[in-house]
Amino acid sequence: MIEMIKVSRTYVPDITALSDISFAVDTGELFFLIGRSGAGKTTLLKLICNMDTPSKGLIEVAGHNINNLKGNKLAHLRQKIGVAYQDFKLLSDRTVAENIAIAMEVSYKKASAIRLRVRDLLDQLQLADKHDTLTGDLSRGEQQRVALARSVANSPRLILVDEPTGNLDATTTERVMELLNRSNKAGATIVIATHDASIYKDGNHRVMELRNGKIHSLSRNSR
Amino acid sequence: MNFWFAVFRQAGRNLRQTWTSQLMTFLTVSLSVLIFAFFYLIYTNMIGASDRLSDDLRLIVYLEDDPGPEMQEQLRRKINNFDKTEAILFISKAEAYERFAKQLGKDSDILTDMPKDFLPASIEVVPLKSLRGYNQIKLFSEYLATLPGSEKVQYGQEWVERFYYVTRLVTIVVLLSGTLLILTATFMVAYTIRLTIMGRHEELELLKLVGATNNYIRTPFLLEGTIQGFMGSIIGLCALYILFQWISRHFAGPGLLNIFNFSFFPPMVIVCIIFGSIGLCTIGSFTSIQKFLKI
Repeated sequence: MIEMIKVSRTYVPDITALSDISFAVDTGELFFLIGRSGAGKTTLLKLICNMDTPSKGLIEVAGHNINNLKGNKLAHLRQKIGVAYQDFKLLSDRTVAENIAIAMEVSYKKASAIRLRVRDLLDQLQLADKHDTLTGDLSRGEQQRVALARSVANSPRLILVDEPTGNLDATTTERVMELLNRSNKAGATIVIATHDASIYKDGNHRVMELRNGKIHSLSRNSR
Repeated sequence: MNFWFAVFRQAGRNLRQTWTSQLMTFLTVSLSVLIFAFFYLIYTNMIGASDRLSDDLRLIVYLEDDPGPEMQEQLRRKINNFDKTEAILFISKAEAYERFAKQLGKDSDILTDMPKDFLPASIEVVPLKSLRGYNQIKLFSEYLATLPGSEKVQYGQEWVERFYYVTRLVTIVVLLSGTLLILTATFMVAYTIRLTIMGRHEELELLKLVGATNNYIRTPFLLEGTIQGFMGSIIGLCALYILFQWISRHFAGPGLLNIFNFSFFPPMVIVCIIFGSIGLCTIGSFTSIQKFLKI
């Protein structure tokens, strides 16, 4: 699903965010990206979803060189990628339901299907009572869950999640991970950037650790 | 949900979110259309009046004496040498006397003591319809004045001259107000769309990230311009029609309006004004999108 070959990203004047990153994520895999703050996790996710462009190297997503895609082709690929951003990117003057619905509206899903899907996701994330609340009035933990709900709403083939549990308690973290696991079992490839060891320590996943913009380790979790 | 439903809903959101600036733009477009259409209406009516007046246009060449048949033929040839005419009519002194007596009707007895040849003989020249421009008529009259035996040429010079200058003035006003319409409508719509784009910057950014196509993002803004142009022209034309009705009612009767046969635009012109306004506002919207909406 994702292939990165010798990808580097430097910012002016000469800040190296990523250097010579090469790895691949298989279709349907649940992949963890770990490392301290500033290690380059968010930059890597931004490159995968074409929010940023690499200074060097090749990135392929679903067989497409994502940096060569433009216009409608890029838009259609992005419809198949759900992203939960670290800064949430919620529209504070819109309700929770409207924020989640946006991802499905751009794919011209039926209004009734959108309503059902929104209700279902809010139930799963214990936000049913916030359906008509403006996202600007939510706590950070609630906003984080709304952002996550939006990323999985359109049933994308690839889900990129940046620090999904940063503002959540243990029980909510468990619910969030349940939702992501369900999407994964339904066939979605998931890449989670985190430094919360509790969410990747169990299970048979691959975990890649970044340090100072370089791959420090890439191993399969044995437990 | 289909594309057009999404586009209309998004345009509706835009209009709601920036309704104050939208209202200002809408009023500006309406006013521009009203100003332009008002002068254009006067212009078209003046052109209509000018056509009607030119149908009755005759150049009268007063002669020193009654021309004989040979002289008449010569004069006819000379007149036609300048340009072909609709008709050339020779009026002898006696015919002129009879005409005048007929015009006087029951007061014709005042002519009893007058000699039957006291009125001059004349030639009535009806120029071709293609020769009805003010300058052409003036040239033609100057030529007729050089005919042998010609004393004076008359065609209501003063009236025609004044009418011609007023028509020219109105033409200039129509052109100026048309330019004003183009500039104000285009600028105001472009400015409002720019405000909307800036106000919805975050949302547009997010739409791109979740995979909205260029058309999905851009079309609502174009539609906004189209709606502004359509509504603005409809309101502007309605206001003009109310003004037209008021003028017709208050200035009806034997006056200037009767000479002009004051009438409103035909449906085709109304459609053209509406489409012109829509086109301009859409162009305004399009330029803002090109400049400020980088996708």
